[in-house]
Amino acid sequence: MTQLALVIDLNVCVGCHACVTSCKEWNTSGVAGAMSDDNPYAKDPTGTFFNRVQTFEVGAYPDTETVHFPKSCLHCEDPPCVPVCPTGASYKRPQDGIVLVDYDKCIGCKYCAWACPYGAREIDEHQQVMKKCTLCVDRIYDEALPPSERKPACVMACPTSARLFGDVHDPASNVSRAIRDSAGYALMPEWGTRPANHYLPRRRTASVTGNVAAQRADNPLAIDGAPPPAREGR
Amino acid sequence: LFVNPVTARAQDIADGGWMWVESMHGKVRCLCRYSEAVEPGTVWTWNAIGKARGAWRLANDANESQRGFLLNHLIADELPVDAHGQHRSNSDPITGQAGWYDVRVRISKAADDEAAESSPQFAPPARLPGTPETVREWLAYVAGNGEFK
Repeated sequence: MTQLALVIDLNVCVGCHACVTSCKEWNTSGVAGAMSDDNPYAKDPTGTFFNRVQTFEVGAYPDTETVHFPKSCLHCEDPPCVPVCPTGASYKRPQDGIVLVDYDKCIGCKYCAWACPYGAREIDEHQQVMKKCTLCVDRIYDEALPPSERKPACVMACPTSARLFGDVHDPASNVSRAIRDSAGYALMPEWGTRPANHYLPRRRTASVTGNVAAQRADNPLAIDGAPPPAREGR
Repeated sequence: LFVNPVTARAQDIADGGWMWVESMHGKVRCLCRYSEAVEPGTVWTWNAIGKARGAWRLANDANESQRGFLLNHLIADELPVDAHGQHRSNSDPITGQAGWYDVRVRISKAADDEAAESSPQFAPPARLPGTPETVREWLAYVAGNGEFK
């Protein structure tokens, strides 16, 4: 059985949000209509996004890591959003494992958003239907596109090729190889959802920047007086 | 403006607080964000995260102009005239890239009674010919059912 999925390399992602904007562009222009935004040109805009990148820092200067963490629907093999749906709008396709929402059946009750442990669902406040990543199901089978472009929009857009797309049930696929070779992991396996999407973990590398190297001679604060401590007292 | 917590706390600037950043060319009031990824003694920001009030057809109270800021007010296209009266471009001598990364600045905490908005602010530009007076508050439709709100 085929299970299409994304594999995202956290070593390579630079947090540029190209996947976020290309996802929004493709899906807001798609057959299902716009992903609505509120106050897009005014104060405190909000909007519907199928793909978001969260960025956080780990550690203290100079041993700092900036982690960019793209998040979208993980297309679980045992998706908790499907059995809770009262209308059958939320379903998992048997032929390729993609989890989808049938907007014609969805009544916007948000049960699936409560059931999803990953926060991947996005209610469209104006259409009042639940939306989510479709793995660009309207791209990947489109025979009008050249075969090289039958990939999700986010994968096409990624400038660092941090995003891979393929069948995780095919041991010879590029995504299966990446998971095997780089110890790819699924998010929150304790929920038993068996996410299809995987992440390639950050590899630990030794910091080559010690405290001496981190304090440069022409630091503007050093010119005015004592240079700042490279680390906070901790 | 991303500032190392050591540097920011030395100026009593809070994480998420308003601060001033000042160079020989100008000064900007902006929001501070603590970052351990920045060297103490260095500050940085994204390029062009701010917009002038009313630019890009944004509402006058859009976050882009009220909370975002432009670093351009701190930099100039030319270096100060040197001792021989020479004008030199403020750009990298090797690549010619604009010297966006090497201006010396002073940072300080914004006073509590100051306006909670970025500075400088400008009067919004007049509406361009051919652009509609109002901006849609939201956009949503279901393709194929003939409704377009």
